[in-house]
Amino acid sequence: MAHKRRIGVYICHCGGNISDHVNVKEVAEALLDEPGVEISRTHMFNCSDASQQEMVDEIKEENLDGLVIASCSPKLHLFTFRAMAERAGLNPYQYVHVNLREQCSWAHTGDKVGATEKGINLTRAGVAKCALTHPLTAIRIETQPRVLVVGAGVAGMRAAISLAGMGLSVFIVERGNEPGGWASQAGRMGPDDRYGPEVVANLLAQIRNHENIILYTSAELTAKSGHIGDFTATVRLRGEEDVSLNVGAIVVTTGFTPYEPEDGEYGWGKPGVVTLKDFRQMLEAGDGPLTYNGIPVRDVGFIYCVGSRQTKGDTCPEPNTYCSRFCCMATAFSASLLHEFEKESGQTINQYHLYRDVRTYGHLEAVYTNARADGALFLRWDPKEPPRVEQSNGRLAIKVKDTLLGDEELELGVDLVVLATGMTARKNDTLNNVLKIPESKDGFYNEIHIKLRPVETAIDGVFIAGTAQGPKNLAESVASALAAVVKTGGLLKKGYVNLEPLIAEIDTDKCVWCNECLKACPYGAIERVLCGDKEVAMVIDSSCKGEGACVPVCPQDAIDIEGFRDNQIMAMIDASLKELVAA
Amino acid sequence: MLRASSELAARMKEAEGFNAWACFHCGTCTALCPLGYEILPRKLFREAMLGLEDRVRASIPQIFSCLLCRMCEENCPAEVHIAENIRTLRYLINRQEFGLK
Repeated sequence: MAHKRRIGVYICHCGGNISDHVNVKEVAEALLDEPGVEISRTHMFNCSDASQQEMVDEIKEENLDGLVIASCSPKLHLFTFRAMAERAGLNPYQYVHVNLREQCSWAHTGDKVGATEKGINLTRAGVAKCALTHPLTAIRIETQPRVLVVGAGVAGMRAAISLAGMGLSVFIVERGNEPGGWASQAGRMGPDDRYGPEVVANLLAQIRNHENIILYTSAELTAKSGHIGDFTATVRLRGEEDVSLNVGAIVVTTGFTPYEPEDGEYGWGKPGVVTLKDFRQMLEAGDGPLTYNGIPVRDVGFIYCVGSRQTKGDTCPEPNTYCSRFCCMATAFSASLLHEFEKESGQTINQYHLYRDVRTYGHLEAVYTNARADGALFLRWDPKEPPRVEQSNGRLAIKVKDTLLGDEELELGVDLVVLATGMTARKNDTLNNVLKIPESKDGFYNEIHIKLRPVETAIDGVFIAGTAQGPKNLAESVASALAAVVKTGGLLKKGYVNLEPLIAEIDTDKCVWCNECLKACPYGAIERVLCGDKEVAMVIDSSCKGEGACVPVCPQDAIDIEGFRDNQIMAMIDASLKELVAA
Repeated sequence: MLRASSELAARMKEAEGFNAWACFHCGTCTALCPLGYEILPRKLFREAMLGLEDRVRASIPQIFSCLLCRMCEENCPAEVHIAENIRTLRYLINRQEFGLK
């Protein structure tokens, strides 16, 4: 060691969370004997403003060059104490966090002597690591003020318009021939009766008029390189020509695929069994009476939850366990449209709505109330005995046990069976290979935190919105699209982004370029370079996450992760086993 | 097996003031009925709306015993005009059973 370190150790009571089970005074006293430790004391709450101020003053007065905080999980307060170190003029990467709560006091509540001994050992390891830290600076990336939006449905278009409004340039890539997504085929949409194609036309006009937005149709994202703030995206146009786009962030709004019923599922395949979308097209296409195969329709049975809220079984090995959120509202809204058609056409149509639970949440409740006021009869079935659809006397018969009529089996003669099919994840292997966004078990893209970070993904700079993330109605899709806009704008308008410097470092003297690290890295953060005339591996600082997959596979032992260097880990092990070793 | 008949159901739709479709089957009406008839009114209306004529006919004693006290109607969260609906059923039954026009 070049010079003797001056380390401050602060043990937290956590108001009893730690000190009830660990003798924190004893820990603090034991640590005073460790090499390099100048100060070792306890606080009731390390995180309190008063304690932080005391530590800041002490770091300055005692000219400390290392800090060990032994308290809660770093998940809670790592950034609190990094900021505190900076205020004290100490490099934040010379502070080490020891978890005395989740990993000690809470785990050993009945054993104060043992917990105290473990607390001492954990903190000693923290000091040993701290002694081998050196100042680091965050990696600063300049961000490009351009965004790629993948998918030109309503969510993507709405996001693009708002991003352009922030002064960012936007490229929209749409795989289909036309923008608009499912809304352009939806007809009249509840709860407020907007006409889907009109909503789309309105957004498209704004996009066409905006000089900052370029819309590519019949286009596919086929490759992506670079990193947050500075991606290069390759887009293939009409399957032949490639364009290269340099963007700072990517917003993924690729939408859903409607559930396709299995053959025979609720009579699927029989004449007269249609999806809600088909039914609405029949209803809205029409001049004259509503007919099926030339015969006027007298009775319609709607079956809810088709392809949603499934349970695992022989016929359904991979169930869609989620609720698709939009179908109850859309079907109940269709009831009122059918009622309106009845009044206008004079054709009497009887409607049965066969549901499991009506989930017209929030303001959508009005749609359900209106449907009932309009004379739609709602019958509730039990998922253990779903309705059966059979052919009978040239018509269809639905057999269902109505739980509200004492589970007696009913036979409903109908001309049409309308299946309210749900949403499924869109299959797009090309895109998934390019973007590598983690998926949920249902196949939708996963956010980092469903409540607190709902549009960010594990891939920095790549955001998700709309139904690509999971079932949503249109209002919810737009809300999430605008959330993604805000996160994207916040990233790109600042002009730069700071990344953790806790990344891999390669010893070019040892490296013989065997390719193992490149194969192990899931982030594409390794590239081959020439060092003089020798081929070696190089870490792309901005892509490396410091995950460490490359370290154990290196046969030359040429890779170390900053903050988790081999010598630090060895020193931590030695320090925590100090008494055993001495004995 | 009960067979729904859309003809009676359609007649219920035409009947002025009949609005039991709004019912969401909470059972408040049944719980409050001072006569204690289980059938009145939630299930009865449902049978009428499904066009289960025999079932409705089997409930004639209950339909005509109703006191029209409106205890149920006052407390109905779906604002079903329960007493009025009972009177609609009485009217339809009278026309059918006794040939009244």
